Amino acid sequence: MNDPLNVMTLFLFNIVLMNIPLLYGTVGEIVVEKAGSLDLGVEGTMAVGAIFGYLAGCMADSLIVGLLAAFLAAGLCGGLFALLTVSFQANQNVTGLTITTFGLGLYFFVGKGIGEDWPALASAPALAGGFAPVEIPLLSRIPVAGKALFSQNPLVYLGIVTAALVWWYLNCTKAGLRLRAVGEDPAAADSVGVDIVRYKYVHLIAGSGIMGLGGFYMALNMSGSFEGSNCWINGFGWIAIALVIFANWDPLLAILGAMVFGFFNTLQIYAGALAGAFPEPLGWLSSVPPQLYKALPFLITAIVLVASSVRKREGSGQPAALGLNYFREER
Amino acid sequence: MREPLFRAVKQEGAGPVRQLMAYGTAVLLALAVGAALLAVQGVDPITFYKQMLTMGIPGSRYPWRAVENFVKLFVPLLIVSLALALAFKMRFWNIGGEGQFIMGAFWAGFAAMRLGERLPQPVMVLVMALCGALGGGLYGILAAALKVRFGTNETLLTLMLNYIALYFLQFFAETKAPWNFFLDPGSARPKFAKFPGSAQMILIPVGPFRLNLSLIAALVLCALIFVYLNYTKRGYEIAVVGDSPSTARYAGMKVGRIVIRTVFLSAALIGMAGAFHMSSAGVMSASPTNDVGWTGIVVAWLAKLDTMGILVVSLLITVLQFGCQTASAAYPSIDANFANLLQGVILFTVLAADLFTRFKIVVRGRKEAGK
Repeated sequence: MNDPLNVMTLFLFNIVLMNIPLLYGTVGEIVVEKAGSLDLGVEGTMAVGAIFGYLAGCMADSLIVGLLAAFLAAGLCGGLFALLTVSFQANQNVTGLTITTFGLGLYFFVGKGIGEDWPALASAPALAGGFAPVEIPLLSRIPVAGKALFSQNPLVYLGIVTAALVWWYLNCTKAGLRLRAVGEDPAAADSVGVDIVRYKYVHLIAGSGIMGLGGFYMALNMSGSFEGSNCWINGFGWIAIALVIFANWDPLLAILGAMVFGFFNTLQIYAGALAGAFPEPLGWLSSVPPQLYKALPFLITAIVLVASSVRKREGSGQPAALGLNYFREER
Repeated sequence: MREPLFRAVKQEGAGPVRQLMAYGTAVLLALAVGAALLAVQGVDPITFYKQMLTMGIPGSRYPWRAVENFVKLFVPLLIVSLALALAFKMRFWNIGGEGQFIMGAFWAGFAAMRLGERLPQPVMVLVMALCGALGGGLYGILAAALKVRFGTNETLLTLMLNYIALYFLQFFAETKAPWNFFLDPGSARPKFAKFPGSAQMILIPVGPFRLNLSLIAALVLCALIFVYLNYTKRGYEIAVVGDSPSTARYAGMKVGRIVIRTVFLSAALIGMAGAFHMSSAGVMSASPTNDVGWTGIVVAWLAKLDTMGILVVSLLITVLQFGCQTASAAYPSIDANFANLLQGVILFTVLAADLFTRFKIVVRGRKEAGK
């Protein structure tokens, strides 16, 4: 167990396993932000997706049902956000924060309400089986990387595929191009006949749905055990908002970014083991305060944010109309 | 192009009656949703709401103690909401209330631990408040200066700064070391030491009740901010910058300086609230904010950034939170998080009600009235 190679393999395996939800959250938020909306409700949206996805998945004993329920429940949060900010012209920051407050409130309300009857993951064997690792033939036999990258559960692969598909959608399709126009300059997009309201609704719902899948993932990764004090999402929604900036609003970079942030997240847990396994080169790891690992994603993002604004948004993927409501009569 | 199913058309100033109707309906609707949810859990909504609104004070053995705890929750929320409204009026989206509060609390705690033995109580409490204000204010200036100089998005930056502050504080809370004077040397596990007696908030005995001095300070601040915003040149400048920075520039105002000054003031007040909270608690905490930086945003918004409105709304939200905490003690299936759920629903319905006061709804196919 203390074999250095083993420790390293486990460390890398866990970076992927534990941080794919970040990718879902980030890709979902990229879709939302590309539509010009800054949704600060990621944490709450993921929590709602997590709990309803998990409960539905357990009831039907099916991974697919769980995924669908998570997507729908979180998508409803996105729909609510769209209704308030697009149709009702409410402030986006306030609405987003309220989605988080509301979502976490709902999460604990439902969980506490079920109380003793909370379904254990073991009671849904097909759901648990669906989350079990799938070894990709040949590739999974590569030392170290085979275990870390190619012996993961299906939702890991789904996350990567989702990120790639969203990248393709944003960059290679007509609808994606229009979506980006909505986020950059809604008035201009409107004047060439893009239906702003419909674009915003569709993408806010779809983006939030993707966040919900990340929440569902976290529920399964916690074996669905509900604790009264801590939410499964545990701040990942906020890190996802940071990650969108770090990844420069690019879903493919988000894969890389999720691994970089994941590296720090996981290092926090593995610092001791790594320092023990490699005392010569990595012994210093155990003396780094763990709070630094937790702060690093936010610290790096703050630096990236400032640096890109110093460079006057050159090459920045930040939509120009991010966070601004579009009201046609004020065009 | 096809007309959307319904759309909003701006209308000027709905009358007070219509506003009261709209918001009253919104809150009632939210309470009804809450009641339905309670009923689903098998909790009698009427009893629950009654306990929530009375906050368990009648029939309590120590009713004054409950009021004192209520004040401890109310004061930070009031000050933070007022402060945030200052920045929001300028359309500076300071969502860094959490971080500024933590920094205020940290530096107030720093002062308490270093100077607490040496200074008398009134001086010490004041020094803590000033240290808190400076700590919070400087943390806020960081985001404001970058916004003014480089156009850095302040919403995202202040959000990041919240977490940086949180883990900064946690580092001191969890690191056992000889240099860490914040911790209790007698405890083997890292645990914050109590402040020296002179760093505790001044409590003025009024019969059996001990009046927390920070309540008076908060109410005075409320009045001062009202005057500042409505009757001073600087307050007026805030409103102009919020309305249109280019108008302000055209009128010869130094917009950058106004933004930095106002954000400093906003963040300093939040830091001071953190300091008050520390003095009242008498000991540091690794998570001192009680989400006040987030709730303050909701309060400021519900009150339409109006100073007197904030006084009322922050009082009501505190009743909701403190009341839920006490009422839920009797039910295993409900906890204090129900307050968050209800607060969320209230905000949703109120935001929707906004629509009916600010806009007219035009349904597809129907003619706009008066056109």
